[in-house]
Amino acid sequence: MKFKNLIVYWRTILRVAEITLRHQWNDSFILFAILVQPMLIAILALFMLRGSGENYAMFVVVGSGLTGLWSSLLFISGNSINGERWQGTLESLVAAPIPFEVIIFGKNLANVVQSLLSMSTSYLLAALLFGYTLQMSAPFLFTASVFLSIFAFISFGLIIAPLFIMYRGIQQWQNAMEFPVYILAGFLFPIALLPNWTTPVSYILPPYWAARALHETSTGEGDLQKILLAWGMMLIFSIVDLFISSKLFRKMLYKARVDATLETV
Amino acid sequence: MNIITKNLRLFWQGTVLSYVALFAWFRPVTYAASKILMPLAQIIFFTFLGSYASGGTDVDFYVIGNAIQITAVSGIFGVTMSIGGDRWAGTLPYLFGTPANRMMLFFGRAFMHIIDGAFGVVIALGWGALLFGVDFSHTDFSALGLTIIVTTTSTCGLGLLMGCLSLITANVMFVNNTVYFLLLIFSGANIAIDTLPNWMQAFSKALPLTRGIASARTLIAGGSFADVAPLLVSEIGIGIAYGILGYFLFTWFELHAKRKGTLETV
Repeated sequence: MKFKNLIVYWRTILRVAEITLRHQWNDSFILFAILVQPMLIAILALFMLRGSGENYAMFVVVGSGLTGLWSSLLFISGNSINGERWQGTLESLVAAPIPFEVIIFGKNLANVVQSLLSMSTSYLLAALLFGYTLQMSAPFLFTASVFLSIFAFISFGLIIAPLFIMYRGIQQWQNAMEFPVYILAGFLFPIALLPNWTTPVSYILPPYWAARALHETSTGEGDLQKILLAWGMMLIFSIVDLFISSKLFRKMLYKARVDATLETV
Repeated sequence: MNIITKNLRLFWQGTVLSYVALFAWFRPVTYAASKILMPLAQIIFFTFLGSYASGGTDVDFYVIGNAIQITAVSGIFGVTMSIGGDRWAGTLPYLFGTPANRMMLFFGRAFMHIIDGAFGVVIALGWGALLFGVDFSHTDFSALGLTIIVTTTSTCGLGLLMGCLSLITANVMFVNNTVYFLLLIFSGANIAIDTLPNWMQAFSKALPLTRGIASARTLIAGGSFADVAPLLVSEIGIGIAYGILGYFLFTWFELHAKRKGTLETV
């Protein structure tokens, strides 16, 4: 996706995001993915990690919120093109003068932003039900990390959606992709516990850098250098993801137009 | 005698056909992703989380708990697909139009998932031995096998009840996913039951899986069948209770839908 399209079509992106949000609030599976599942994972982790240090509650709040973000990206953003096909609106969107990836960017924006609710519900759960006093150690750095994470997740989602529609074989593994990223990205425990050979895999996952930035700024365990590294990696991955996604979208649309197989691409 | 033969044939045909035709994951890749890799990833995730929480001292607790809990993938999701699938496929009117014995039809929907779920638990325990070194050298395997079958059956009992909900509501995947995650909390798979608040302990005791997981842990630690027999009797009792409740809901649904003409829209 061309970066300038984000600026030229910003109104379209916001309008698509708004419509997507309105539409998705009626979908019970989406409510499960962004609210119920992260909350239940937070309850589990709060019970399991009792006594793991004074910052563990904030660690769980952020980590369980991230599980909601990833599940939403995988199951909702991953199906953002397929969803249009199932509703019969894909042809109209492809024929519209707005670049197709701009529309999917807007849909992913809505998905990722609404998924942040998972972090808020986990926060309320830990504070109200479990009675923890949660204190953000670096709120401004945390807010900046949230914005960068949103961008990184959306960009990553722009790769997943065309891959899922072009290569059905990959989408069939969708159910198996949820927990591995929880593990490899270190959402709820450090990746240092994992075997060494998995570390490079973690490093190429944008959710890992998002988790690092959010954990370090919320619990105060990271210094500025580490936080800047995580921010830098998220930016680099976002740019790479946008570049790859532009190629994927071009291939998908070319294939659909040349083969006339938009409904079956 | 003829009636018994007919009903047994109906049970078996309903069992096989509902599994083959209505179980949405019955394709090699989808099956491998949803029934083998997803459970493996879940076991690894909760085992590492638990290991992190306990300082690496209680790995077996989490591996065994999650391996047995995996039966809920078949018990809850699979059974629901096999019951609700008739509604989604538009074959519910034909099903309710037949004079077939409803009890055979209903309980037949769960049978293959009991076998499938038990197979899934065996695979999961195998992963536990291979990846986390769970020691089975003191295990009474016949008692463990019975525990797996009993626990899977009781979880399928809850699945039958959930499956009936799929005939009443369009939001059944929301309900099923919620129940699946609640089982992760309340069944004792990841949190020792006695560390939960009293009301949560009471809720745990009303669920399938709780006693099955406790039995499996006892047996793998070297306990005997006599040690776990009372737990297994309670476990199967709970499963039967949920199954019967589901059957009554199923018959009520048929009666209500026929009276009101709301077979596809309830």
